[in-house]
Amino acid sequence: MGGTRSLLTRATRVLPFFYAAIAIVIVWQIVVTLTHPEPSILPPPAAVAATLGHLLANGELGIDTAYSLGRVISAWLLSALVAVPLGLVMGSSQSVERIINPFVELLRPISPLAWIPLAILWFGIGEPGKVFVVFIGAFFPILLNTIAGARGIDRSLLHAGQVFGCNTRLRLFRCVVVPASMPAIVIGLRVGFGTGWAAIIAAELVAAQNGLGYLIANGMDVLRADEVLVGMIAIGILGFLFDTFFRYLQSRFGYGG
Amino acid sequence: MASAGSTGKPLRINGLIKTYATRSGEVLPALGPVSVDVEAGEFLVIVGPSGCGKTTLLHLLAGFLKPTGGQMLVGGESIAGPSVDRSVVFQSYALFPWLSVLDNVQFGLRHRQLSKGQRREIALRFLRLVGLQDFADRGIDELSGGMKQRVAIARAFAVDPSILLMDEPFGALDALTRRFLQRELLRIWEEQRRTVVFITHSVTEALFLADRILVMSSRPGQIKAEWRVTTPRPRDITSGELVDLERQIYLLLDEELAKTFAQEGKSAHE
Repeated sequence: MGGTRSLLTRATRVLPFFYAAIAIVIVWQIVVTLTHPEPSILPPPAAVAATLGHLLANGELGIDTAYSLGRVISAWLLSALVAVPLGLVMGSSQSVERIINPFVELLRPISPLAWIPLAILWFGIGEPGKVFVVFIGAFFPILLNTIAGARGIDRSLLHAGQVFGCNTRLRLFRCVVVPASMPAIVIGLRVGFGTGWAAIIAAELVAAQNGLGYLIANGMDVLRADEVLVGMIAIGILGFLFDTFFRYLQSRFGYGG
Repeated sequence: MASAGSTGKPLRINGLIKTYATRSGEVLPALGPVSVDVEAGEFLVIVGPSGCGKTTLLHLLAGFLKPTGGQMLVGGESIAGPSVDRSVVFQSYALFPWLSVLDNVQFGLRHRQLSKGQRREIALRFLRLVGLQDFADRGIDELSGGMKQRVAIARAFAVDPSILLMDEPFGALDALTRRFLQRELLRIWEEQRRTVVFITHSVTEALFLADRILVMSSRPGQIKAEWRVTTPRPRDITSGELVDLERQIYLLLDEELAKTFAQEGKSAHE
């Protein structure tokens, strides 16, 4: 249980990502040195770092990040609030599944991005439209994983629950079905957050006055490739951090493989 | 609430039948009719070829399935559904991996009128009984198969059942662990006397454990023969009389197995 040891192993796990980041910057620099592109097309890493520092210092990047994160987190939570209970019920009741599954299968292939135009028509360019798009993006991964989790529960676990005191359906649901589905739910939440994060950037590219997607779109409009790149870097790093956080949750709830 | 000194309740099975309807509307007999009387505190072992319906019988007794016909009475009361009064030890352990070892053993005590401390005390007592008191706070995934089944046995005894149903509990374990746990089970059973219905396909296991052995026929499962084993425990299964009994049981099982294969061959040709 050595604290230093676990810190060390954690550091070694992060190291490959660090190397990859450095390699990307090196390749980028080589391309710039060899081809001398216009800074408005591809600025050198140092210039983007300077812009990053500037946008961090004047708070612009922080505000855009906060907008994007706020939208994603609220929509993703809303999505989980609907998809997790629905998935649990669909996964444990064949008759409910038979009724709802056709709706799911018909709507699922429609990319959340394809909903953006409708979202703008229905909700305008305000917050509800963006929350709607992320909701759709996060919904299906959460729902499908939750269904798979609830359906895949070992029958004998349900039997054990019934024998040892869960004598109502609700009790069995609470004491066995929900915890037994937890690993799959966490996977769904993780994948759903990823698709939601991609969807919000797309929605902000199309219609927003703030957020990281807007930062990128605006950078393009004013020919500031450095701002575009700063936005992209922020999206990448934040997405990575959230995924890492969910992986940690997954390892905590990863019981019963 | 029953306590030390209680020996469980008698079980009466009378004309029990289970059939399944196939999609084409055909009626497939799976079990029965089966009639057995099990005394309070008796260790009954049922041996049969795989697919003979012995698990169906156990699931009926546990209340997971509803019988098509017949009666099942525990101490005179009809079986209506799953209950802690008929606790089960599963072949796949069926422990809850999101709970600690202690919480697994406590799980069946939660709906009783007991204080937290009392529940904990009972659970620890039964963990001590299976020799796992030092593992109370461990996770289930940290345990070996043999340890998991000991936790499951503790969980099954802790709820103070009238009857203990055991569905090939040692079937997934290696031979040595199996041998060890058979001894452990007898030791615990001698201390916490309960009516036991134990299902296995191992004749050796039946000879080592049982007060009485029932042999089931191939589908639809019926009681083909029964033997009372009076050899005192602990038993040496290489002793003359048990070897002799083993031979008789195998003779019967071979016959049943031949029938099963013949049936399978026939349905394959249809």
